[in-house]
Amino acid sequence: MSYLIAPLAIGAISGVMAALIAIVDLITNNYGEVNIAINGGKKNLAVKGGSPLLLTLSSEKLFLPSACGGRGSCGACKCKVLTDIGPHLPTETPYLTPEEQKDNVRLACQIKVKADIGIDIPEDLFNVKQFHATVLSIKDVTYDIKEVLYDLNGETVEFESGKYVQLVIPPYDKIKGSTQRAYSMSSRPSNKTQIEVLVRLVPGGIATTYVHEHLKVGEKMDLIGPFGEFKRTPGHSVMLCIAGGSGMAPFKSMLYDMLETGEKDREVWYFFGARSTRDMFYLEDMRDLETKLPNFHFVPALSEPEEGDGWDGPTGLITDVLDTYLKQHISAEGKTLEGYLCGSPGMIDACNRVMNENGITQDNIYYDKFA
Amino acid sequence: MKMTPELTAAQANMAPGIITAEGFLGNDTRNLSTIIDEDAQIMSRLHLNRDTIVEKLRHFMEEGRKGLGEPVTVDTEWLVKTDEARGRLTCPWEDNISRKTNVTIERKDTGEKLFYTDLSIHLLEAHGFLEGRGSSFRLNLESVKHVLKM
Repeated sequence: MSYLIAPLAIGAISGVMAALIAIVDLITNNYGEVNIAINGGKKNLAVKGGSPLLLTLSSEKLFLPSACGGRGSCGACKCKVLTDIGPHLPTETPYLTPEEQKDNVRLACQIKVKADIGIDIPEDLFNVKQFHATVLSIKDVTYDIKEVLYDLNGETVEFESGKYVQLVIPPYDKIKGSTQRAYSMSSRPSNKTQIEVLVRLVPGGIATTYVHEHLKVGEKMDLIGPFGEFKRTPGHSVMLCIAGGSGMAPFKSMLYDMLETGEKDREVWYFFGARSTRDMFYLEDMRDLETKLPNFHFVPALSEPEEGDGWDGPTGLITDVLDTYLKQHISAEGKTLEGYLCGSPGMIDACNRVMNENGITQDNIYYDKFA
Repeated sequence: MKMTPELTAAQANMAPGIITAEGFLGNDTRNLSTIIDEDAQIMSRLHLNRDTIVEKLRHFMEEGRKGLGEPVTVDTEWLVKTDEARGRLTCPWEDNISRKTNVTIERKDTGEKLFYTDLSIHLLEAHGFLEGRGSSFRLNLESVKHVLKM
């Protein structure tokens, strides 16, 4: 029996140690109920402490933007923290400008709620909901862009054209956790029971691969939104819209909204760039809108038309076409020109340069920089 | 090469859900030092040079940016699309933060494609790591040689 003494002793010591660790963990990591005061107490949440702020807020149905699901790789879930919760973490600083750090802006996914805190968030976020939607249709609008229409199953969405939603991609294949990605809504705001998005395939992209290769009509999927600050200003300024690929989405929404809300006389120039005709889509819809919105001008351009494309429209990079039109076709006399951009950071930077060179000031250029 | 504590920590960061949802190892069960060593041997057998590959990948990524998110012809023989997604990615070795830049290179004559990210370039340049077998972003050296005509 003596040979059992050592293993039994080790087992007993391990058991005691495990129990001690569990007790210490319970005491030190039990923050009890804490209060989150939002926007000076406009909303107060009593929550269980100890979890990341992003997760805590979403469990209370208050959603901050997040394109990585709290993994700390998108930098989207910024919010201003009014309480001293310690210095910025190394996982936050790459995503925050020096001004934001000075202003105590934090990444909600990286900070934990351990005591009462006060935060400031945009008021719009109070209207963000999680929708349990069903896929109504999936259409190929080009070889690599799909138009996906969701039914909100009795829920309704209130949004202004230009806003985006986050698709919650479920685990699939070797992807073990759910992932969220942002897509501009292409549906019109008057349609409150459905949401439409355009998804362009990115090789190896988790969300786009799912939508292109796995998503089926009738499937349930969660959407969170609306988010974003991109929207058209009221008034009569001339709108210069520039997009390529799935960047079409917010402008499709805006143009149909203008048609439905009677904003028909506003001057709008829409520059849409593609490489060849196989990358071009919604041409007929845009031409039809030109007949219904008398001051709407659609300018599609191809950067590398292929043999047999039969293209007789403008050619070149969309920024070059924009530059030509600003110099030769669009009169700024007595008008304010405003830029509306949707695309990659490179495209947005290039458009900003062209607009600035043509006298459009930065405060009149609008975009949601998705990267 | 031996599995140092540094490599062990990097391999732990490569698991799905740590830095990216998919991780960096695909279905590869080899340890990190073996993956790097065996890929270095393949590189040598194919007469490829790490610096030259890095230089080429960076060249195509930068040329692709000129398409402003749309595909653009580079050096007459390749169609390149460089695009960016929101956010940044930390290197599993925690020595670099890359933008989420995706690059697709297509050989115009054969239609064969290669795709990689900003982080792929850093992983190869700084660590000789091409990602594990079965990973969506693994740089297959045979494909690299063929698509880039090296």
